[in-house]
Amino acid sequence: MDTAAGAAATGNADELPDNPFVLDNETAGEPQPIFKTLLSDAPVMRTDFGVVIARHEDAQFALRNSELFSSDMDAISIGNVRPLIPLQINPPDHVKYRRLLDPLFAPKQVALLEQDVRELTNQLIDEFVDRGECEFNSSVAIPLPCTVFLRLLGLPLEDLDLFLEFKDNIIRAPGETDVEMARVRAATGERIYDYFNHVLDEREVERRDDLLSQFLDAQVDDHKLTREDILDICYLFLLAGLDTVTASLGCMVSYLAQHPEQRRRLVDDPTLVPGAVEELLRWETPVPGVPRVLTRDMEIAGEQLKAGDHITVLLGSANIDETEFPEPDNVDFERPANRHMAFGGGIHRCLGSHLARLELRVALEELHRRIPDYALKPGETPRYTQGIRAVEYLPLVFPAP
Amino acid sequence: MKVRVDPELCVGHGRCYVLAPEVFEADERGLCLIPVAEVPPELEAKARIGEENCPERAIVIED
Repeated sequence: MDTAAGAAATGNADELPDNPFVLDNETAGEPQPIFKTLLSDAPVMRTDFGVVIARHEDAQFALRNSELFSSDMDAISIGNVRPLIPLQINPPDHVKYRRLLDPLFAPKQVALLEQDVRELTNQLIDEFVDRGECEFNSSVAIPLPCTVFLRLLGLPLEDLDLFLEFKDNIIRAPGETDVEMARVRAATGERIYDYFNHVLDEREVERRDDLLSQFLDAQVDDHKLTREDILDICYLFLLAGLDTVTASLGCMVSYLAQHPEQRRRLVDDPTLVPGAVEELLRWETPVPGVPRVLTRDMEIAGEQLKAGDHITVLLGSANIDETEFPEPDNVDFERPANRHMAFGGGIHRCLGSHLARLELRVALEELHRRIPDYALKPGETPRYTQGIRAVEYLPLVFPAP
Repeated sequence: MKVRVDPELCVGHGRCYVLAPEVFEADERGLCLIPVAEVPPELEAKARIGEENCPERAIVIED
């Protein structure tokens, strides 16, 4: 605790909550002030949960040096019994899996999904547009990425609720104590392995036009993926592919609902949407931090870190670090240089980043085309979750057509 | 102007070839390819856009 105590003595860092992502239910909706305090007063802060690294330069160093800042199973426990592929695999094996997976999620490949995503977005909007109001999280932010995901993997859409239960039990495990939460995660993990094992048995008998079938025939280093390999990929997809886009879409629409002049710019000029996606990824950083574990003693910004330290690389603060981003508070959809780290960086750069960008762009394009004039429901406040910043309650009102 | 990409640093964020496809291309994995290292004057601004938006600072411009 020495660093936190030291920081508390010099600034208002003593108001920072003691959790790995430094955000609690109060601050998750507007984390930037806390991030600024960290950047100025405690760029490397030791908490009960490990060390938080806040500056852009240090975050980039950590993500680039993946052998020093490891993301293997020691970094985070999310109910899995083997390392998730590829996130928890270290070099040199890591790149073998990325060589297989990267082409499946490269921009050229995900572009083939654009029409599908657009139609799906419109179908979701059709459901509520006549009512003049909606709860955006349950109406769009959850079903859009989850449906895209189920279609990609070739899984029945009826399983949507099951998938939501799986990922929520892992990411926001219910329970009063760490032990209880770990128990829920482990039990859910078993169900996830069972679910995919069952579907893979079916695909072994009969291939379909889906990713699971592709995995069964895929080659890595001249041998086929094992069943465990495929399960370890699917487990990660489930956790990384659903919640993050839901959170990103919620954060963006919540911001735009509360900044009508910015929303108006997107309505008037839809060509600004791709830039808005990048800038809102920077400003909102829906996944505010990523966990790592240090493999050697080292020093950062004068702080002594030890092998085995749990590290949170705080992407959210890195993304508003003024040494990298001039006028970081200015949310500028035409920011000329935007090296944001919302998708992480280094060898573990988010595999789904190009799919996420496609979904976010298309969703914002269609939302503003169909419903140009929306606002927060009067008297209501959006509710954000800590950890990954999902906007679990986002009530909107708009003129019915 | 010459532009090159450091293959040790590029991890396929894809910002360069999305923002400046006149200068940068993607390989099968989505990593950056630069077909012509010598950038003609009319594309220099595009090359800089790619460089300024690479989160890994993998693109190097030599004037």
